[in-house]
Amino acid sequence: MEWFGITRRGLLKGASALGLGAAVAPRLAWSQDSKVLRVRSYSDLQVLDPAFYLSAPEGDIMRCLYPRLVEYQAGETWGWKKNAAAEIEQTDATHIKFTLRPGIMFSNGFGEMTAEDVKFSFERVADPAVESPYKDDFAVLDRVEVTDTHSGVIVLTEPFAPLWSTTLPNKSAAIVSKKAVESVGGRFEAEPPATSGPYMIKEWVPKQRLALVRNPDWNGERPDFEEIHILPIEDEKTAEIAFEAGELDYTAISVSSIPQYESDPPAEATLIRRPSLAYVWLGMNVDAEPFTDPRVRRAIQHAIDVETVVDAAYFGVAERSTGIIAPGLAGHRERTLYQDKPDLEKARALLQEAGFPNGFSCTIDILNKTERLTAAQIIQANLAQIGVQVEIQQHDSGTFWTLGAESEGDQWKNVQLMLNRFSMSPDPSWATAWFTPEQVGVWNWERFDSPEFGELHKQALVETDEAKRDVLYRKMQDLMEESGAYVFLTHESNAVIHRNAIVPALQPDATVILPEFRRA
Amino acid sequence: MLQYAAKRLLLSIVIVAVAVTLLFCMIFLVPGDPAAIALGPRATPELKEALRARMGLDQPVPIQLLRFFGNILQGDLGLDVWSNRPVSVIVFEVLPHTLWLVLLGIGWPVLVGVPLGCYAAVRRNSFADKVTGVLSVGVIAVPAFVVAVYSLLIFAVALRWFPAIGAGEPGDFGSQLYHLVLPAFAIGLGWVGYLARLVRASMLEVLGENHIRTARAYGLPERTIVFRYALKVAILPTVALVGISIGSLLSSAVFAEIVFARPGIGKLIYDAVITRNYPVVMGAVLVTTSLLVLATLIADLVAASLDPRIRESL
Repeated sequence: MEWFGITRRGLLKGASALGLGAAVAPRLAWSQDSKVLRVRSYSDLQVLDPAFYLSAPEGDIMRCLYPRLVEYQAGETWGWKKNAAAEIEQTDATHIKFTLRPGIMFSNGFGEMTAEDVKFSFERVADPAVESPYKDDFAVLDRVEVTDTHSGVIVLTEPFAPLWSTTLPNKSAAIVSKKAVESVGGRFEAEPPATSGPYMIKEWVPKQRLALVRNPDWNGERPDFEEIHILPIEDEKTAEIAFEAGELDYTAISVSSIPQYESDPPAEATLIRRPSLAYVWLGMNVDAEPFTDPRVRRAIQHAIDVETVVDAAYFGVAERSTGIIAPGLAGHRERTLYQDKPDLEKARALLQEAGFPNGFSCTIDILNKTERLTAAQIIQANLAQIGVQVEIQQHDSGTFWTLGAESEGDQWKNVQLMLNRFSMSPDPSWATAWFTPEQVGVWNWERFDSPEFGELHKQALVETDEAKRDVLYRKMQDLMEESGAYVFLTHESNAVIHRNAIVPALQPDATVILPEFRRA
Repeated sequence: MLQYAAKRLLLSIVIVAVAVTLLFCMIFLVPGDPAAIALGPRATPELKEALRARMGLDQPVPIQLLRFFGNILQGDLGLDVWSNRPVSVIVFEVLPHTLWLVLLGIGWPVLVGVPLGCYAAVRRNSFADKVTGVLSVGVIAVPAFVVAVYSLLIFAVALRWFPAIGAGEPGDFGSQLYHLVLPAFAIGLGWVGYLARLVRASMLEVLGENHIRTARAYGLPERTIVFRYALKVAILPTVALVGISIGSLLSSAVFAEIVFARPGIGKLIYDAVITRNYPVVMGAVLVTTSLLVLATLIADLVAASLDPRIRESL
């Protein structure tokens, strides 16, 4: 048969050639180059100025570009180690002496890092005129005194417990070159005028790739990989496919994929699961009817089966939480006061007492994420058992994060139940800071207004005795739970997967420390 | 023809202006404070206010709209709120990736679907026609994202013939084309079916007309009849469909850009809407609307050049 000059035999020949060509085609150009580490970040970089960075992936990149006096150490317990500092010591409650390692050089000819640069970097973030969103990191900074080229003293206005756990090792404490930053007008975005860390920027192709190359002038611990390629892949499932296709060496994975990868990991790959510091809870707006009645709030606390909610929403890979402070941090509670097991009889009795023998209808606001929807659906089913009919309202992130804010108008009055999640740094003050009376209508959407809680928060910030802080933070979470406005759900779980050819360096919550990744 | 083209161009400019104005008004109805989203929970009210002023959000909406159009006339699409980079740079960085994806996404279906439709029409009711019909409806019925995911799993993960993510090495056309294969396959597969069915139906209609019968009576070769006389007429609806398809493909490009982690204008708009990055939303939508209108204009002009009756209808 012939049609338009193409014979059937000719067609078959062509198809065979195509098939053969495909079969012997190069098995892709991505044969493993062991000198290059390929990792995924969930967003592309936008701002690499430590005073104005926008996202966690930018923090991971900044860690490669700018040293800090001290740095979080890799492992399963929180701690810090010296980075740019050769010596650092707290001489009293408000004075920290430091000496820089000599010979840390800034790129682009901006010379050696000096104590002046440390002073500039810290005071710049703290200066209200600079308008850094991170100025609270240095809220108690009085000044940095420069004593010689490499030495200085950090002077605080009052003792500050989180200084070593979340201020000095944090991203906003990265040391930038005073001369370089001033040369570009005091702030910069995606193109740093000078860097001095273990890596430097080789090439940035927006939305495609950031290539970092080992800094030949870095005199600290030598990074093992010559280059790090950071690929912005927003979708976790896409990243998982890219990993399986051999195009990534390391990626975080979605909660829903953890069971599958645990039972059947890809060849030559290892899964690591770490507890997260984030906390997820069900909140109740105490200024919205009928949740103004503490008995109604307590009834909700007794009706919810937290174990089931967490198991269903997180595929059995997350543990239920007892508060807002994760295990491993001062203030973590071993158990809750009222929420160990659901008690429907008690919940119904409380509703009867509050004048709702047949229950009532209300709404729950959630972010449009799968695990939140699942959690909300279980909560909906739990509450239906005591006659409370819940309507689930899903929102995109832009809308959700304004729901309880008084600055956005009166919409906070319509918020009744809410499913919320905050992430945090490894100091309990980062968890409690959002529930003080000053935060009512800002981020305290439950409008839990406890002056005692506010006082305890302030007291714990200046208390440097870890045991005493532990007691204070436990008490604060007791107050939250006693108010009835909170049902603590989980701290979630972070999971990453890596090729066996590399040894990742991770903080206890699985945050990456890219310069410390090694070849196996 | 020139007068027709001028009229269509004027209409296109009006369409773009109306579409962009509508969108401009719509985004102010969306709840969510961009300053709060950008600065995060730790921002003070003063910081948020300063950022709102920097974004021009402290001005009344009509003033903002006038400013926006004034800036467009000067070729200024504004600055990205968060990175402070010019929106025009950001948009034109990703635009070529989307354009190539859309062109290939419709290009290969045209190359495959049109001959397939012709073949099915010429061999009407044959076994091959029936197989083509079943396959065409089959590929139309499979959602493009399913094709995307399965093609990734088969061709990138299992066989490793094609890359799973990215847009290829910058400056290396071969690499970029290689990275386009799976995304273009995914968003284009359904169009093969559409075009094959459309061309078949159109061809059958034309092949039954008097001038074709006359040509056959004169003993002209089948190839000449099909390509020179029948297809030239039967292709008109396809040309119009291809013009309109650009809009649909731009929408499909969003998920292709997410699934294949490619840069592109669809994802840029999606991210900008989520983060309430209004200058980027407006700039990118202006460009995509203009593209869509331009594609429709070109399709109309091609159709008008093929059929004089269309020129007279406007």
